[in-house]
Amino acid sequence: MKRDYQAIRAVVAKDWTAVRRAKAVVIPMLVVPVLLLVVLPLVLGLFARGASGPGADNVVSHLPTHFRRILAGVPARQQLLVLIDGYLLAPLFLIVPLMVASVLAADALAGEKERRTLEGLLHLPISDRDLFYAKVTSAFVPAVGVSWIGFVLFCVVADSVGWSVTHRLFLPTRLWAVVIFWVAPAVAALGMGIMVRVSARARSSQEANQLGGAVVLPLIFLAVGQSSGLLLVTLPLALAIGAGIWLLALGLLVRGAQRFTRDRVASTI
Amino acid sequence: MQTGAMGGAIEATGLSRRFGPRFALAEVTFDVQPGEVVALLGPNGAGKTTTVRLLNGILAADSGTSRVLGLDPAVDGMAIRRRTGVLTENAALDDRLTARENVVFYARIRGIGRSEADRRSVALLDRLGMSHRVDDLVQGFSTGQRKRVALARALVHDPEVLFLDEPTAGLDPEAARDTVELIAGLAAEHGRTFVLCTHDLAEAGRLARRMAVLQEGRLIAFGAPVELASAIWTGLAVDVDFGATASEPALEFLRQSRSVLDAEAIAGGARVRVGSRAVIPALIALLAAHEVPVFGITARPPTLEDVYFAITAGHGGL
Repeated sequence: MKRDYQAIRAVVAKDWTAVRRAKAVVIPMLVVPVLLLVVLPLVLGLFARGASGPGADNVVSHLPTHFRRILAGVPARQQLLVLIDGYLLAPLFLIVPLMVASVLAADALAGEKERRTLEGLLHLPISDRDLFYAKVTSAFVPAVGVSWIGFVLFCVVADSVGWSVTHRLFLPTRLWAVVIFWVAPAVAALGMGIMVRVSARARSSQEANQLGGAVVLPLIFLAVGQSSGLLLVTLPLALAIGAGIWLLALGLLVRGAQRFTRDRVASTI
Repeated sequence: MQTGAMGGAIEATGLSRRFGPRFALAEVTFDVQPGEVVALLGPNGAGKTTTVRLLNGILAADSGTSRVLGLDPAVDGMAIRRRTGVLTENAALDDRLTARENVVFYARIRGIGRSEADRRSVALLDRLGMSHRVDDLVQGFSTGQRKRVALARALVHDPEVLFLDEPTAGLDPEAARDTVELIAGLAAEHGRTFVLCTHDLAEAGRLARRMAVLQEGRLIAFGAPVELASAIWTGLAVDVDFGATASEPALEFLRQSRSVLDAEAIAGGARVRVGSRAVIPALIALLAAHEVPVFGITARPPTLEDVYFAITAGHGGL
């Protein structure tokens, strides 16, 4: 069936306008990225500037072997900064697209049920597939957008604060590029894929967020694992993880699209 | 207006839908002619919303067939929805949008260009008495104001068939009257077809020529109130004003008259059931001949309310 782009655009524009006016949705969506991508690198950078010297060398020397291997060739004064901003924050960063996509998808799908606006939407001449695409787009694009804008801010802050230590632009790195352009969109798609399933059962966006909260946990484990040296995200591993997440996300979204029929949705409202 | 093979704007034959083991709608058959207003009556859970969902191609029927504007909802749901408008029971407005944005949103999905959508939205909101709140967020609107915005949204693409669920619920008397007049005008002058789901029997009586009564998913009656009434009651009720409640001897006198089927006392006189309107002059003459003072006489054909309650109470075995 031919796509009705005007209808898709209308739904996406409506969702974005509505979300922009919902402080309860917008504030958490901005606070977390600001904390992770601006405040954290700022504090770390300032700490690294103050801690540069023998003390910092001492910290690095206590890290597991594989971290020391990564930092081989990096001047001692830069090691802490490069390690944290260049490597350890990368998995943590994935919380941003995941969270934004999940919150928006829950608002766009379960939220329509909660606001009792879904039935009106079903009575409109927009196909099931176009409505699904519109809802996915209205969550996916901002999730990726916030991630990319956040990353630019992160680089600017980290490079600026760290300049006095590194005297070079040490971000972005190749690992970050893979995380930003490959893994982050995949994670956003995964968050949406799960929220599509969760929202089919949830009666409200809050309930969907609670049910979907389980999605964040594996990412936190990944971040904690990375930070404690249990799991090292290297370039090939990041590419492979991204591919795996894409496959999972696309599988969930395709299945979600197949199950997103008027009859099924209307039977639950 | 395109219609079905039998000429109806809407035709449903043996329409059934189950949710799990429960029948939400069972073997429902009715039709709506172009330009007609049909009232779908019944208590909550009777199957009114399911009927609308089936006819607009939202739900698929388990059995039975239906045609809306000559199209099959199971196959041409999209084409039907382009030509129908729906006002759901709750106004279903997005609180985070303005009145104008809510209406424009629906117009855009219906393929109307941006400026035309805006023009129509403002014009409709103005017509429905909402011109002063066009650019206010819907959050905080009264029920009546929400209903009017939702009605504007249902009308924005000038639909041929309208499914209206409680269109005047929550409206103040003036707005309710305006809405009823708007619906009547759209049906009479513009040939729009309406399916009116309502609990308001007075509103249904003003607007609908025929009514379909649903109970627990089953259509228990369908037709014009007068036809349905004739299946329940014989004759015509006439209120006779004697200036005081009729005494038992007076009632007995009336009952003995050949033209009177039954008589009962009411405040100020008697309610007499006669065979037809034609016998009323003879009744007056009889009373005059016996010098019974009569201050007034009023024929009381059964109201929609009388018919509805008689049907739902199981009278008449319809």
